[in-house]
Formats: sequence, structure tokens, C-alpha cells
Amino acid sequence: MKLRERLQAWRYNLVPDHLIGEILTKRWTDNAIPFLALIITVATFGSIIPGFFQLYSLQESTRQLGEFSLVVIGLTVVMLGGGIDLAVGSIFALSAFSAVATFFILEQPVWVALLASLATGLAFGAVNGYLIGFLRLRAFITTLVTFIIGRALYDILIVAHGSKIQMSFVSSDTWDFIGDGTFLGISVPIWSAIVLAVVTHVALTRSRPGWHVLAVGGSRRSAHNAGIQVRLTVFFTYVFSGLCSALAGFLIATRLSGAGPGTGGGLEILALTAAVVGGNSLGGGRGSVVKGLMGAIIVLVLTNGLIRLGYGTGTNQMVLGILLAVAVTIDIRWLKNRHKVLNEVYVAPVYLRMGEPQSAVPGSGTPYALNNKLSEAEHIGLGELEGPEDVILDRNDNLYCGTRHGEIIRFFAPDYTRSEVFAHIGGFPLGLAFDADGNLITCVGAMGLYAISPDGKVTRLSAETARSWTSVNDDARLRDPNDLDIAQDGKIYFTDSTKRYDAHDWALDSIENRGTGRLLVYDPADGSTKTLLDGYRYTNGVCMAHDNKSLFFSESWRCRIHRYWLEGPKAGTAECVIKDMPGYTDNINRASDGTYWMAWLGMRTPSFDLSLRHPSMRKRMTRRLPQDEWLFPNINTGGVVKFDENFNIVRTMADLSGVSHPMVTSMREHKGELFIGGILNNRIGRFRIEGADPTWDANTAYWGTRT
Amino acid sequence: MIFDPILDLFRGKAITIPPLDGAFCANAGLDEAPVLAELPVADNLCQAAGTVYASSGPGLYRLGEGGERERVEGFAVPITALAADADGTLAVALDDGTLIEGGTPLPLPKGISCITALAYGEDGSLWLANGSEQHPPSAWVADLMEKNASGSVWRRKAGGAFERMARGLAWPYGVLPRSGDMAIVSESWRHRLVRVDAGGSDPVVKHLPGYPARLSPAADGGVLLSIFAPRNRLIELVLQEKHYRYDMMIEVPREYWIAPTLSSGRSFLEPLQCGGIRTMGVHKAWAPSRSYGMVVRLDEHLAPVASLHSRANGRRHGTTSAIEADGRLLVASKGGNCILAPEGL
Repeated sequence: MKLRERLQAWRYNLVPDHLIGEILTKRWTDNAIPFLALIITVATFGSIIPGFFQLYSLQESTRQLGEFSLVVIGLTVVMLGGGIDLAVGSIFALSAFSAVATFFILEQPVWVALLASLATGLAFGAVNGYLIGFLRLRAFITTLVTFIIGRALYDILIVAHGSKIQMSFVSSDTWDFIGDGTFLGISVPIWSAIVLAVVTHVALTRSRPGWHVLAVGGSRRSAHNAGIQVRLTVFFTYVFSGLCSALAGFLIATRLSGAGPGTGGGLEILALTAAVVGGNSLGGGRGSVVKGLMGAIIVLVLTNGLIRLGYGTGTNQMVLGILLAVAVTIDIRWLKNRHKVLNEVYVAPVYLRMGEPQSAVPGSGTPYALNNKLSEAEHIGLGELEGPEDVILDRNDNLYCGTRHGEIIRFFAPDYTRSEVFAHIGGFPLGLAFDADGNLITCVGAMGLYAISPDGKVTRLSAETARSWTSVNDDARLRDPNDLDIAQDGKIYFTDSTKRYDAHDWALDSIENRGTGRLLVYDPADGSTKTLLDGYRYTNGVCMAHDNKSLFFSESWRCRIHRYWLEGPKAGTAECVIKDMPGYTDNINRASDGTYWMAWLGMRTPSFDLSLRHPSMRKRMTRRLPQDEWLFPNINTGGVVKFDENFNIVRTMADLSGVSHPMVTSMREHKGELFIGGILNNRIGRFRIEGADPTWDANTAYWGTRT
Repeated sequence: MIFDPILDLFRGKAITIPPLDGAFCANAGLDEAPVLAELPVADNLCQAAGTVYASSGPGLYRLGEGGERERVEGFAVPITALAADADGTLAVALDDGTLIEGGTPLPLPKGISCITALAYGEDGSLWLANGSEQHPPSAWVADLMEKNASGSVWRRKAGGAFERMARGLAWPYGVLPRSGDMAIVSESWRHRLVRVDAGGSDPVVKHLPGYPARLSPAADGGVLLSIFAPRNRLIELVLQEKHYRYDMMIEVPREYWIAPTLSSGRSFLEPLQCGGIRTMGVHKAWAPSRSYGMVVRLDEHLAPVASLHSRANGRRHGTTSAIEADGRLLVASKGGNCILAPEGL
């Protein structure tokens, strides 16, 4: 091997590139940028401002942070619902005024002051909510108007009553405690913010009203179509925001024991910047309370830090403006391009040098030499069927197959011209097998292992196995269950072909060629599913050996067949029995003469085999070309191969014309005939096998005769 | 977007090709066209004194009105180009680099060994396209995959000797003398037509959606251009992938390369692209393909006007030559082994 090739092999097989794509599929990566910004901001100001982390300084900052966080949480909820609330600053100021006026002028107890504050917030929030939610005015203009009116009202009130508040001698321990005291070392505003944040977070992520808010923000029309009361939901987001601002206003009133002309000035810009910088989308539907809190900390640390460094209001506003612009740009670009980035980086090819195959070229004289025999097959269901991956026959000779519409179709013996939908499953049924009681067991792509009783009742048997310790993608769920067979003790052995791609993207797995295929076993006795083998390159067909002591399974992208021992000295281990075939191995089934049929879903091409040794070329291919242009294995020509107990190739057949059976994914022998399926085909083939036992039925071979 | 140049470092620049649009709008014109004659590897067509000649491997055939073919002459190696002068004298070029005019081999200057096209001008001059210095015409695909640009165009004035008009061309594959001392030449590997005169060469038509082959005059003063293979984004990628390409040239048999070809889909050892997968019995016409058939009519200003196609699911691929003979359009499909007589273009 050349040095360059060896380096490529190391580079692509040892560096786990695939993890980048897997991590990017996680929703929490949205938090990564704001979190990084948070760390950088805190670290920067913490290191350049002496005493930034000292206790007193922190106490004061955190009080302010608590109040600010309350406002941001309220605004976050409004933004999640698809709106915007510019009136938070004026509601905040008016509530503060209500509190001090009630407490100092009207000389009412603290709880009345709190209620007065909340009532103010509620009233303003309700006005906003009514105008925007029910009258459907534009959120931006409406809250701008309430902001201006609220601010004007506040200015009038503070001029008229400011001096009375200054001169009042009312005092209360409760009031002072709220404004100045700490509980367990933490100030009241921070406690309120924590409690509200937790409650809001739980409500948004775990409760019906919270989901409604997210749904409305994500898509009003879909939410409406789903039966959500869109207008009411929008209304309540503004009421909630008003209440949050009001609570914050009450807290600042207790802290300052008064209200001045500057209270709440510019708060709306600060809060908006915080919510957006934290990563909440302005478009609605995407975001969280945690993001709002991160934004709040970033903005507050930034503004306080700049003030303590001696910069004026102008600089401060400028920095906020720039921050907001950057955050909005990143938000929009990220939202728009995330899936593109994911598409481009998800496929992470590995290096593989395939063994030199024997030729399958017609006339090459090898046992694999293809012919045109399968083009003689008669067709069943031509034009009605789409995608019969596997086919099977019951004891009454009826024929069953899955379709890409998510159904199991039954064709009636003897001529198979009449058919019915035997069961509707929803996913793409792939492998099929009958158990001892005549239940049809099927591997359903992207769903799991299902059983269908003879009267058509569908039951899920298994959809998950144990998660492996090192997985980033959740590999507990079955991503591409492909084929199965059933042992005499009733245990169902089945394959899950890949952990990286969904069932309909199965062919993409060949480009990546990473070994993530598994062999699993489902035990009907206790309903458990266990992973037996892992790390194969697309595990596919499964077939019990005639003596039931072992099973065969195919590894498609390596063109191999393995044997897994169920009993005997090698029980629980696997060995490769046929390797380096010229075609990609698929389903395996028993033949009547004690041998086995195996399908080739496609043929190896020299250019694709070579590309497996050039992972960097494949990686660039996936990034620079649209998927339709990617180099694939040649899955336009398949075939049927028969091998015996000693793994000699007995027979090979194909349809080289490509008209009837370009790709073959399964075949089933039944009473002297071979039934042929293909996952991308529009028919089932029916082929008479010369010399085959005309009475042989797999159901009898597996489960004995039944009366 | 402004970040694209930075992101390109990580993700690579998308490979794009000209769309089949406007005058190149896809149709099934060639697949629906009647077959005038079945002729294996039918290649170059020309009309001499009212008779249509076609080359087919080493054989030279005369075509009758109704498509009857008669073998006129056979050579030891394949014919690579044909032309006839005003008197009906035939010039025949062979794969071993010999040029025979009126039955006698001509002495050629050093440097001509790969004659891909011949044409006589109105003034009796003979123009000759020499595809490459490294390869014979039959090894065109190797010349492309090596990204050579060593082709040249030569002219012999009536009674004179061959002189080189242009060099450094990437596989000149068609030549059409125009009035004066000028000719239009199709430069295949660069997907363009260039104008060659005493002053050298300049591109006149760029960004063709395929690999251009022979040029011939149309009665209305325009030009017929044959395009023998499509541009394909995977092939363009492979052309940029040096290590893969050289390994492929060493290890993979030539007919199974990821490269343009005259016909495709005939062996399971050929490369397959995702879009070419046969699904539910259908091979999509717009699937990416390594071979294609296309004849384009250009007007007198060389602007493309109309075209006939044989698409990915068709068989009349590898159209290397098209002529107008007595008002009738004839198209040789080298990959489809036939000569077509489409109704019109």
C-alpha cells in the first residue's frame, strides 16, 4: 500500500468525523454560540475589571440581574409565541410607580403594593394582548404605541407625585427585606427569577399551554389547523410578559424605595438584545428560557462592565446595537443554513480496500457469471406494487409483500391476480417471516419489529435495544431494521442495518461505508431485545441454517456472508463464510434441496471500489455535488445466487436486460417456484425452478406440518 | 453571501454545469427520429458529389437515398475523419495518423498524428484538426482524463503545404472553414467553439452543455454542431481529483472509467450515479449520464437556435457528426450504431 493511501486510511478510519454531523443534529447545539459568547463576556470583563467578582459587587449586580431576568423571561415567552413586546420598559416603570405610590402615598401594606404593581402589569399586558391577539394588530407598532403612552403617563405621574413619595415617612421591615435582604445568601430578585425561570421552563417544555405557545410561534396556521386557540394563546403571552415586568418593577421599587424619571428607561432595548443574543429567534417558535437567561447575563455584564470601565451611555448603546445586529444576523443565517451545513457534513466516509472479486461478467467462466435467466420470470402485481423488498408465502400459497406505502399486500393463490391490503403499518415493511403460529413477523424500516396475526392485527414487538455507551446519535432506537428469521425456540433474530441513516436513505450508507450494522435478537418470552453483534457494514438478510444450529447473515457493503453460531462450541460468535463476492449481498432464504438462495441488490463496479480507497474524494463529492450526481454502487443490476452448506456457489441468475428485475433484494422458494422481490421494483417475479421439489414449503420446513 | 469564500475552504465550492435551457432545451428528437441506416460505430458523415459517405470503424460506406449501404473501402485501422472537396475527391484520415487524399497517402509534417476532423474550404484549402500530441483519436478519453491541451489546427492552401494555424487547443474535434482565412473549431475539452485564423484562436461560443464534436455548414448559412457527450458534475469532480483520477486510469479498465463515453448503461461494471437508479421500472430521462446525443443548429452569427436530443434514457448517444445533404439532416450516432434522418431542426 502506498504511503498516501495508508495515511488516508488512518486519517479517515481513526478520526471520528461522523460525530460532527451527529452533534449538529442535536437541538442543543443552538445554545452553543450564546454560551460561548457568555463565557467570553464574563471572562473578558472579569479579567479587565478589578474586583468584578467580589461579593458586594456581585450582590448589587445580581439584584439588578434578577429584575432584568424577569423582564427577559416575559419577553422570551412573547417572542416564542411569535410576537414582540416593546412596552416592557414602560410597564416596568409604571408598576414601580404603582408600588411606591400605594406604599408611600396611600400607606397601604406591602402585599397591596405588590398587587397594585401586578394589576398595572396585567392591565397593560391585557391591552397589548387584546390588540395584538384578538384585533390582530401588528405587534411591533402596537407595543411601540403602548410603550409611548405608558412612558408619557409615567412621566406625568412622576412629576405630579414624585415629591410626595420623597417626603413620606412610611417604612416596613418586609419592604426593606425585599429590597435589601438576602435569603440563604441570595437576594429576593434572584430567588424570584430562579423560581419564575424554572416554572416557565417546565411550562414551556412540559405543559400543554407551553407547547401551544411554541406551536403558535412556529407556525400560526399549522397551530390553528391543529385546533389551538391561536388568538387566546397570543393574548396570554402578552399578559404573562406584563406580569413579569410588573414583578420586576415592584422589586426595583423596593430596592430603590422610590421612583425617578430614569426608571425603566431603555429597558426594552436591553431586554430585546438579551433575548435575541441568547439565541431566541425573532421569528418565533425557537428558543428557551435558558437562552433568555444567558442573554440577560451577557447584556448586563456587558453594560455594567462598560460603565465601570468609564464608557458613557452613547458607547453603551452603540455596543448593544451592534450586538443586536450581529445576533439577529447569526440567528437568521443559522436558521436558514443549519440543515445545509448538516447535509454537507453528515456523510463522513471511511477507507476500505475491498478484496478482489471473482468476475461476474457473462461468459467469464466463474461460478458467479451472470446470465439473463431472471428476465424469463412472469410478473405479479405489475403497476400495482411499489417496493416489495421481501416476499413470503403462507401455507395456503398466498403471497405477501410489503410496499413503500406502508402496507402489507396479500396476493391470493393460485394465480396471484387478486390482492388485498392485509395490514397497514405505516413504515416501510422490509423483511418478512412466519412464526410457528402463522403470525407474520416483519422488520419495518425506521420503526422496528412488528407482528401481524393471521386476522391482520398489528402488534409492535420491539423498537429499541440497549443504548451503547459511546453513542451520540441515540442508537437505542432501531433505525433500519432490515431482515429477520425465527429460531425453533421462537427467538427472532434480526438485523438493524445502520445507525447513521434512516431506512429510505439506505443507499447513502454505502457512500459512507462506516460499519454500524447490528445483529439483534428479540425474545418473545420476556419481550426483551439484545444486541448480539455490532460494527458490520450494513447487515442485511438473515436465514436460519437448515439444521437450526447457526444462522447466516449478509453484510451488504462488504459483499460478505457471515455465520453466527447459536449452539455448539462456537455459540455466540460469528465467522465470515463467503467473502469478496462481485455483488452486494441481501436477503438469504432456504432452498428446497438443502442449499440457500441469496439476493444481490447490486453489483460492484471498479470505479466505486476504487472510491472506497479514496475517502477524501468521496467526502468532497458529498459536499460539492447534489445527491443525484453522487457515485453509487451499481444497484441497477442485481441477481440471485445459490450456495450450498460448504459455501460453494451452485448457481447464479440475473436479468441483465434490466427490464423486469434490475435490482433483486429478496427471493423465496415455494413449491418449485421462486418469487422475486426488489425494493425499487414495481412487480414481484415468479420463476419456475427446474428440478426443484414441487411440494416444498418453507412453513413446513420450519414448523412442521399442521392440520 | 459574504461568508461563502470562507466557508468554501471547509465545504468546497459547488461544481456547476451549464443548464440545458434555451436553445438547448431537452427533447427526445433524436430518439424519435427515423433510422436511415443501422451502421456499427457510425462516425463521420460527408457528402461528395451528391453521394453521402459514412465511416464505420475501418470501413467506408456509401449511403443510398433510402439508407442502402455499400462498403466502398476497408482499412486496417479505424477511420477518424472524412471530407470531400468540391470535385468530390475524398480525404480520409486513419487512427494511425495517415491521411489519404483521393486514394494516395499524403506526407504530413511532424506533429500531425491524431486527425480528428477534416474540411475543405471554398477556396480549395484543406483544414485539419489534430486532437492531441500524446494520443491517437481512439484514445480520446485518456487525453481528456489527463487534461491535455496539445491539439492543433492545420491548413493546406491549394497546392501548398500544411501550416499550423493554432496550437494548445484542448482536443479540437470539428473544423468548419469560413470565408477568408478563418475557420470555426470546436474545442471539446473546454466545451467551446473557437475562431482560428492567422492571428491565432479566440473563443466565440463558450459554456456549451456538452463535449462538442464535428461542425458542418447548414444551407441557411448557419452551422450544425454535434455534441457527443454531456457535461456531468461527477466527471467534472473527477477531473479535479488528481489522485483518484490517476489511480482510476491505472487500475480501472477504460470503458468503466468515470468519464464521458459514447454509450452507457450496457454493463453492470460501469459507474452509476444516484439519479440513474432505475426506480419502479423507470430510468429518468433527466438522470445524470455519461453519454448523450445532441445536435445543435447555430445561426450565421453562431448563436445556438435549436437542438435535438437523445437523453439519459435514450439510445442514440455519441452523436459525433451531423450534415445537411440535399436539404435532409443526417446524424451519425456512434454510440447508438446508426444514422438518423430527423424530420428537421
